[in-house]
Parts: sequence; structure tokens; C-alpha cells
Amino acid sequence: MMGMMSHQQQIAPPSRGSVNGFPHRKLDREGSGRHESKINLVRSSSGGFTNSENGIKLGHGSHSRDRLIYVLTQLIGHHVDVHVKNGSIISGIFHATNSDKDFGVVLKMAQVIKDGSARGQRYADDVVKKPETMVIPARELVQVFAKDVALGGDELPKGPGHDKRKDLLIDSAISRSHYLEERELERWAPDEGDSECIELEKYDRKGNRSWDQFETNAALFGVKSTFNEEIYTTKLERGPHMRELEKHASRIAREIEGEDTKDIHLAEERGLFLGDDLDHDEEIKYSAVRRDTDNSKYKPPFAKIPSSTCHVDSFNRTVNIDPKDSLASSSTMDEESSSHIFDDTDASATIQTNSVSQPTSDYLSDRPLSNDENRLDRKLSRESNENMDNRKLQPENNLSDGARPLISEGLDGRPSSSHAYEPSSSGQGFKSRETPDLKVSVKHPSVTEPVTSSQRPGSSTSSTSERIAANSAASAPGLSPSSSIGSLTSEKSTLNPNAKEFKLNPNAKSFSPSASLRPPHPTSSDASYYYPNNMQAARPGLPVGMGFPPAYGAQPVMYNTQPGASPQGYMNPAGPQYGQQMMMGGQTRPVYYYAPEMQQYRGRNF
Amino acid sequence: MEAGGEEFAIGVVISAKTTLGEEFEGQIVAFDRPSNLLVIHILPKSLMLLNRISISQEGVGRAERGERRNVRVLKANYIREFSVVSKGDDPLDPSSCMLDLNAIYAREDAALRQAEIEAERIGVGVTPEAQSIFDALSKTLPVQWDKTDIVVMKEVRVRSPYLPENVSGGTAAANERVKKVIDFERKRLHSRVPGQFS
Repeated sequence: MMGMMSHQQQIAPPSRGSVNGFPHRKLDREGSGRHESKINLVRSSSGGFTNSENGIKLGHGSHSRDRLIYVLTQLIGHHVDVHVKNGSIISGIFHATNSDKDFGVVLKMAQVIKDGSARGQRYADDVVKKPETMVIPARELVQVFAKDVALGGDELPKGPGHDKRKDLLIDSAISRSHYLEERELERWAPDEGDSECIELEKYDRKGNRSWDQFETNAALFGVKSTFNEEIYTTKLERGPHMRELEKHASRIAREIEGEDTKDIHLAEERGLFLGDDLDHDEEIKYSAVRRDTDNSKYKPPFAKIPSSTCHVDSFNRTVNIDPKDSLASSSTMDEESSSHIFDDTDASATIQTNSVSQPTSDYLSDRPLSNDENRLDRKLSRESNENMDNRKLQPENNLSDGARPLISEGLDGRPSSSHAYEPSSSGQGFKSRETPDLKVSVKHPSVTEPVTSSQRPGSSTSSTSERIAANSAASAPGLSPSSSIGSLTSEKSTLNPNAKEFKLNPNAKSFSPSASLRPPHPTSSDASYYYPNNMQAARPGLPVGMGFPPAYGAQPVMYNTQPGASPQGYMNPAGPQYGQQMMMGGQTRPVYYYAPEMQQYRGRNF
Repeated sequence: MEAGGEEFAIGVVISAKTTLGEEFEGQIVAFDRPSNLLVIHILPKSLMLLNRISISQEGVGRAERGERRNVRVLKANYIREFSVVSKGDDPLDPSSCMLDLNAIYAREDAALRQAEIEAERIGVGVTPEAQSIFDALSKTLPVQWDKTDIVVMKEVRVRSPYLPENVSGGTAAANERVKKVIDFERKRLHSRVPGQFS
């Protein structure tokens, strides 16, 4: 080493120079001077060198040696594989080369990957060894192989994110340095020792995973899970009627999913082609705020369009689907299936979108409860007459047909009360409830299926009353909002044309809401609206009232999330209230349910 | 064996076989006669195709800034045979080749650090089976080597031969857990490759 140390300022700290490696081979002692020597060589050998602060440029007319040196320098810090004469391959980090002489190579953190010597003609891993610094003399050297070397120099060497610094890759560095690299993509295959990853794919034929995470965790670590599914969803009652209920449910589901819809999102989900108008680019399709309805404008209560959203029916729906009659089910929704929620959807199976004006009023009229009967009738008929034109009538036949089987299901005696009342909030929700269906629907066989009939005798009654209440309530405002209803030409009725006629069951128990009922939406300050005071006791989790703002509307189905809460499977939120009224021995005022801002319900009611 | 020197011009794309049985194809970056070292960079596939099609395309094969290639520095005397595929331009741009020493050293530092971390994970003088157990444990637990013992979470110690019985130390819960994991891992290792390890 001929005084090479003097140029150290250009080079990394002196410590670097000392390859105090373990003298594996003879040349090791020279290691310390190696890269200094290399740099110096570069600097001194060609006169045309310009020295920038940090770098060394190769001048024009570079000698081949300079090029070699340049490349080798670029290799410093890279992982390389060095092939040696006896066939072994040593892998490590390229540290230095002896450019003075014949370019022996020094590797740090090196290991013999493949041992070509006589001793081991296989991978040398009898015993795992720690990596060390190795020196490979030039005469042994066959090849140095390095991957992913940037021969042209790295971009923006002074940039904040040298991509050389693998441990501190930041996004900008990652994205910046990529210059059009198309890689051949290989399918991932697990490493040798990783076959356990396949556990993730253990599915049995049905697609259910055969791996239970909770069991595994308990077995492995003794961790007990306290997960109880029923806290988060409605308890399924697995009883003798389970299959029927399931069938009902699937039918409803199919119906809902098969519905026509104008909503582009739903249409897409269902595979319906809506027609590509309006340059529906991705933004409009997927991210823009929907503006096709005028929900944003404030509409006075009576002018509000009774959207089908008011799914009182949905309220009635429970996970335990009762083979109720289609009442609930049939009313369809404008575009959404939401209205379909009705449990008793059997009939609704046949119901198509663009549903029909639900003859809620029918029900109401048909099954007046106690005193209100007459009153309702009158109202309903009035309403129905008015709204004739707006309703698209549904093939009632279907409904009827559908309804029949229900009826046969053996509930009788009990007024179908449970069904009918799609507690339409007057105008809202029941858009067309009051409508013309009345005319048509009068003939509808009232679906008398006792709602829960066999399963929950008590509850059905109550639900019945709830429903009735709801419905009556619904009908009441019909008068005033009828105009608004009339204005709804495109709204679809949520009434269930197939619903059976209500027959009052004098034996029906009156409904008494449990204390937990949530009070109805307080916005109804309108004089014509009446909310029974005693309804203030809220039933947590049960959104009360129909046609409530979407927040409620979005969960029209009320789940009985409390184990001990109301016995009924489905609660007609409006029902109880009305029920209260009923008990009060008939008021002169109809109960109006009104959702201040009935927006078109666009979601699904689950 | 002395390969023909004239053919080793810069920019030429050659296809070669070495005496060790390797085959490759790449473009010559540099050739140093005195040391007989040939520097080749392996072109990315797309460019290689281009090379064949249009030989004299400007910039083909040139290593742009930041572009990464695989590089071989090969002693020419180990080339058994080779053939010229095409001729291209100088892959290096002499006027813009800069060596940023700081960056280079920084890179080396980082690589060394990384390698050290990985080296920590490897036990010295331990059997491959032990190493696999260690690796398996390290997937979910912090583990270190202490000579030939595996130390988990700095508390629980597992000695050779790394059976659940050899687990000691730590809190009861931690101990139990390590035992279970070891048990599980062993079963899995054995079931997967019966007899692979001694």
C-alpha cells in the first residue's frame, strides 16, 4: 500500500478500510487498503477525471480497466454470489476488490452457499454457520454475480430516499426509482417450510372452513372466546318451522334480488343492465353523490312523497320469518326491495317490482280493530279513490294465489292483524298505500295468517295490534297528504296487494308495548300528528315509527336484540303506539304517523 | 482457454457457456484484458428482444439512471464457448457515470445491518432442525439464540433437543404457551417431512 491512506477524505471513514476480517486466506492483510487503492487508482490513472464532491467521473476515452473499476465500485454493498474454481458459491455483501492487482474480492457477511469441494458435494449445512468476512483471491475467482445493479448510477443520489437503503424505503423512493420494470410474474408458491399456510384453504365441500379459529386458539394458547353470535344478530329460532322459514326467507331474498331497479348501484349488483346513459364514468357510477332524487329539498310534511321506504312492513319483519301473508311482502318498493322485507312474503314471491300499490288501506279497511274500523274504512276509501291513477296495480292474482297457501298454513281465527298493517306513515312510506288499490284490493282475501301463529301465539296478537295500529295510523293522514300521494307518479306502493283482508278478532289481546320501546321520531310536531305519550318508553334497538328518516328507514327490520326484550319477533314500531291508542278506547283522532323527511329508501332492509 | 479478444467489444450481446456449466446471455459492459475480466450485464428480456430486432437502436441496452440489471463479472478464461448475438451500443454512458461514494457506502452499511439482523436469527452450531424450530417460533414470538438455547421473550428458555420438556423459565402462562407452540411446531415439522431431520 503506497501511501494510499492519504486520500482518505474522499473515502468513507477509515474504519471502513480495515477489513479486519478473519484471515481466511492469504490476501486478507491487503484488504484494508483495497478500496482506497481502488479509488486512488481511478483518480490517478486517467487524467481526464473530474471530481465532483461526492463522485468520481470517468473521463472520456475510459480504459477498459476504468470501466471495470466503475462497475465493481457500483457493486459495493450489493449482495453478490461469487463463484469459485472448485464450484462453490459464496454469497455475501460485496465489500472491496483489489484493483491494484488482479481483483480479488472481499465479501462481508459471507457464507458458502454451495460447497463444491470434495468434502461436501451438497449444500453445506450440516451445521449452520454464522456469516463472516471472506476474501477470495483472484486466482480462485470465476465469477461475481450480482442482481439488480443500477449500472447507470442511481437516480437522485442525494434524494431523501436512496433506494439503496433498504431499511428505510419510503414511498416516494419506491415509486421514483422505478423505471419501467416489467417483471415476469410468477405464481406464488409456499416456501419449503411453509406448507402450513395451506391451512387457510381448508374448505369442505360446502365452502365452510374446516378450521375453527376459536378452537385452535383455545387449544394452542388456552384462550377462551366469549363470542356469542346472538349478541350481534337476531337469534334464530330453530324449531320445527325452521325449514319453512328458511324457504320463505330465500324466496324473499330471491325476489328482492331479482327486482328491477332504477338505482344504478343495485342494478349493477344484480346484473341488470340499466342502459349506459349520461356518460356514466366511474366517478358517477361509484363515487359521486347521488342526485337523481330530490331528497335534499325540504318538503313540508304533507307534501312529502310517501316513499316506499316506509317500510313499516319491514318493521314487522323478523328474522324468524313467519309464514305470514304477503301483506308485508308484497308491497314493493319503488326500486328497492326494501319493502319486501316482509316476512310473510310468500305471496310476494310473485310480486314484481314496480310493485303495486299496496292495499294497505285494504287491510286497514278490512280489518279494523275495535273502534277505528269504520273510521279507517272511510279514510281509506277516500284515499284510494284519489290515488288511483298513480298506482301501478299489481297482478293481484299473484298475490292472492300467494296468499292462499299462507292461509292454509293453518292460522285462522286470528286476524291477520299482524300482517296487514304496513304501518305506513301516512303519506310516506305508504305511498300508494292509500291508493287506488283500495278499489282493487277490496277483493283481496285478507291474509289471515296469524303472524307467528303457532310459534308465538301471544306475540302474534300483539304484533297484530301493532300492525293494525300502524296501518290505521297510516291511513289516517291519507287525507291530507293524498295530494302529495297523488303527485307521486313514480312511487310504488308498499302495500301488499295480496294481503288478506283484515278481520277483527275480538279475542285478540291488545298490545302493550314493553317499556323499552323507543319513542317515535319527535319531529312530528304537526297538529295532525299524534303520538301517544306513553310511548315515550323507548325500546332500545327498535326504531319506532314508519317512514322515519333514513337512519331508521335503513333498519326497518327490527331485531330483537335483547334477549329478554319484547317477545314478539317483529315489532311494528308504529304499532305499539297505535295500540296504545286503541286501548284508550278510541280517540276521535286518527293517529298519524309521519316521517318528516321521507327519503326514498334505497337500501335493503335486512 | 483464451477466448477471442476481438469479439469482446463493448456493447456486443453475446450468449455464452461457462466451464462450470452456466449459460447466460448479456451485453458486454467492459472487458479488461490484463485481468481477463469480462463484465456483462444481463439485459431485461424486453430489451433483449428489441436488440435482436433493431440492432442499432439508440439507447437500447443503455443502462439508464436507476435502471437495474443483473451483472456478471466473469473471468474470461472460464468461458467455454460463446456466440455473438448482436451488436449494440455502449451500455454505459461515459459522460454520466458517476460514483456516489457516500451513497455506496450508505448502501453497504444498510446491507450489513440487514445481514447482521438476519444472522442473529441463525444459531451457530445448531442443527437444522433446531433452526427450523427457531424460525417457526419466530413467526409469532420474539426469539433469540443464546448459544444453542432458544430464548423466547427473553424469559423462557428452550434447550436442546427442543422438546416441550426442555422449556423452562418465564411466567407460567408464557411457559405454557411456548410449550404449546413448540409442540405444535414439532408435530407439524415431523408430519410434513418425516425423517428429513436426524
